Amino acid sequence: MKRFDLIVIGTGLAGLTAARTAIGMGAKVLIVGRGMGALTLFGNTVDLLGEIPPETEMAEGITHWIAAHPEHPYARTGWEGIESAVAAFRELFPPPYPFAAPGRGNSLLPTGAGTMRPTWLTPITMAAGAAMTPAETLIVGFRGFKDFQGDTVSLHLKCRGVILPLPRYGLEGLTAPALARLMDETSFRERLGESIRQQMAGERFIGLPAILGLRDPAAVLKTLETITGARVFEIPMLPPSIPGTRIFHRFREELIAKGATFRMGHPVSGAIIKDGRCEGINIDNPPLVAEYRADRFILATGRFMGGGLWAEMDRIIEPVFDIPVFQPGERGNWFGERFFDPEAHPIHRAGVVTDADLRPVDAAGRVVLANVRAAGSILAHHQAIEEKSREGIDIATGFLAAKRALAS
Amino acid sequence: MDLQTEVVIIGGGATGTGIARDLALRGIPSLLVEKGDFTSGASGRNQGLLHSGGRYAVNDPDAARECITENRILRRIAPHCIEPTDGLFVSLPEDGPEYRADFIRACGAAGIDTLPLSPREALSMEPRLNPRIIGAVQVPDGAIDPFTLVVENARDAESRGARMLIHTEVTDLIRDGLRIAGVRVRDRITAEAFAIAATWVINATGAWANHILRMAGLQIGLALSKGSMLITNTRLSERVLNRCHPPSSGDIIVPNDTVSILGTTSLRAEDPEHYEVTPEEVTFLVDELSRMIPDLKGERFTRAYAGVRPLLQLEETGDDRSISRGFALIDHGSCSGPAGLVTITGGKLMTYRLMAEKTVDFICERMGLHVPCSTHVQRLPGAGQGHTLKDRLLRLRRQTPSAKGEILCDCELVPREAVDAILREGKVRELQDILHRTRLAKGTCQGGFCVYRLLGLLNERHKADHRGGSNLILKAFLEERWKGIRPVLWGTSLKEEELIESIYKGLFNLTPAEPGRPGGGEA
Repeated sequence: MKRFDLIVIGTGLAGLTAARTAIGMGAKVLIVGRGMGALTLFGNTVDLLGEIPPETEMAEGITHWIAAHPEHPYARTGWEGIESAVAAFRELFPPPYPFAAPGRGNSLLPTGAGTMRPTWLTPITMAAGAAMTPAETLIVGFRGFKDFQGDTVSLHLKCRGVILPLPRYGLEGLTAPALARLMDETSFRERLGESIRQQMAGERFIGLPAILGLRDPAAVLKTLETITGARVFEIPMLPPSIPGTRIFHRFREELIAKGATFRMGHPVSGAIIKDGRCEGINIDNPPLVAEYRADRFILATGRFMGGGLWAEMDRIIEPVFDIPVFQPGERGNWFGERFFDPEAHPIHRAGVVTDADLRPVDAAGRVVLANVRAAGSILAHHQAIEEKSREGIDIATGFLAAKRALAS
Repeated sequence: MDLQTEVVIIGGGATGTGIARDLALRGIPSLLVEKGDFTSGASGRNQGLLHSGGRYAVNDPDAARECITENRILRRIAPHCIEPTDGLFVSLPEDGPEYRADFIRACGAAGIDTLPLSPREALSMEPRLNPRIIGAVQVPDGAIDPFTLVVENARDAESRGARMLIHTEVTDLIRDGLRIAGVRVRDRITAEAFAIAATWVINATGAWANHILRMAGLQIGLALSKGSMLITNTRLSERVLNRCHPPSSGDIIVPNDTVSILGTTSLRAEDPEHYEVTPEEVTFLVDELSRMIPDLKGERFTRAYAGVRPLLQLEETGDDRSISRGFALIDHGSCSGPAGLVTITGGKLMTYRLMAEKTVDFICERMGLHVPCSTHVQRLPGAGQGHTLKDRLLRLRRQTPSAKGEILCDCELVPREAVDAILREGKVRELQDILHRTRLAKGTCQGGFCVYRLLGLLNERHKADHRGGSNLILKAFLEERWKGIRPVLWGTSLKEEELIESIYKGLFNLTPAEPGRPGGGEA
């Protein structure tokens, strides 16, 4: 039997942040996850709160917003909590691949549907997207790469667009990870840069799908910008997400280097509960079930997609600890009549309710398990999809959960 | 642009296209108008069951005989639309052995072959069946693809000279004294209005029959019955599974290619255009069908849908299931209405060909023509083609011998070339038309990924309607998709839905139509 100071369940951005924070405080940490998490599907930029208008300074905007949303996870962390957690995140990404906020408030970045989308921190490979103007931008899609439809993007952004055949390979049906690995090869990206240059008509910006390499995206960016003489930016597209995968790999590399134990690919099959505390968890690793013990636990298993919440036909449950879940009413009321209802669907408010310390509580407000904390999107009373707050909630609550867990 | 023809057919369902084909085979010119696309009504919203007639054998022997006759004809003329799965009528303890004995007897009388099976035999054939069954009877049920059936009827009719106008709505009937002399129509996409002069107008609009008749101040007794169905993500059984008891709600499971369709309910509907599948119906279907397949609750459901049956209501009764599923051919001229107007309604998909035959027999008789029907022997054009998953994969390999085979829809393996071929034919006018003619958006993700790709292709071909851009079409598609998905959102399908919402509302920041949301939406 192995014993840890802290076990983090979940390898998404919340779990990774919690594990890294705890490692930084000298704890012996185990992080377990079933898969790579929503981070590798949707992680592109760091959103804090999309509804803050671009002209409003972020600290001020969020501080006001929190006052009006006292049940939101941000009310647990406050702006200070968000700020210090995001600062710690940025430390993990030094140049040449830094994350920065292009403005004092939200910036608008183009998407794979040709819409503009508000966000806070962008990786260096997306930064120029915030500065582009339609008349000066060329959108480049690749023939056979179906998860980025260049003509849809250029049509809606009112830019010029081209669809290029990819050099060297008969590449129809290529996936984003395969394309990103090809971009890691110098000769490939040089040839691609050259064929883009031949299509240019004086544009100062070039938008490409977000596939500019997994290993060294800054080098890919530099090659393309040198050859084309324009500023190049990545555009987020259908999952999986290459920029999100970069974030995942960076965290994992850091955690392993600092001595965390990483267990991936196996679900948590049960918890050992005694006297209102969790003593350990079982991890399914057929034909064995391994038992891991720790003093503290952080539950960062995400929502329905990640398996943190599960919807039966009549109620929503939390499968690992069977923690009480805030319910969105009867099944007929979980979702609005229209997909694009003006209000977020009621089910998105469901989740785990906690005390100020991020410990899950029941309907009467009593702490359920004294040494278990919850972090990330599993928390109740946020609407991460509509709010554009996914990464902010993950980073801020993951950070806070680890701090509070180790302080206890 | 005014048109002229011998017979105008209103309605592009199985009956209407069946009539067009029958007329064409007998050399009579016709023009079919359909306000949506083919199969927009009940023909595209049924359980896809090729009835053996067993379901009606005990209560309605005439309907049973009609079914088994048409069953044999359809297997001959449209083998590519049919999977000859066979079906089991399964007796649970509560269904009792008496009904089973009556059932076998009644099937015999109607000419339906039966093979009684012991519980052990039935369970070895269909392992997911409830182990408590007391017996089963095998009958020649099957699965039928109504989309292909209807589109092929239309295609064959067209190749023999019939004309088809889809997205064309009848706005009025043209009167000429005591006769109906044609229809006024409006193109629903271009809003162009024009007239079609004809000797005969056939109202083959199913549940919409009274909408057309009202234009002539007429009405027939028609009850509308909503039937709701659920689609599972996997195929639950090899054969059609029926409960061996008097026909009721929630007692049939029909395999359909790689999935199964569970049905149905029967609830009175007021309007054939506006209805939805309620959470109560979904719970009912899952609970009721769990009696036949006990582990059904753990299944992933991909979609719910409903269709509206037009039931002839010649006299008032309590239960819609006891109203005859038979059809009626009404010559309004001979019952104090205007001449030249015929309504064919009631009936069911199984009898579409027979309904067409009777209608055209009537027209021929009035025209003094003596040309016999041949739709029971003339095979549909694609009859040589298989349509199982294996056949589709083989065709795919033939169509795309090189590396050019970009797959737009990963769930159902629809290649880009299949869409290009449809675009080249030039008959599709909106997104849903393309979706009707391919298996795009019919798989697990219900178009969550492939419709984005399809619209990219249309933008590349400049086929998308650029007023407001293709994202408006995308949003309209997601709303349409939502109607089917929302009723089944729990378990695994809810996980998928979070993924789809994360893409379109999160990543792509598509917002409700209202403009002015800060920072959001369309550039």
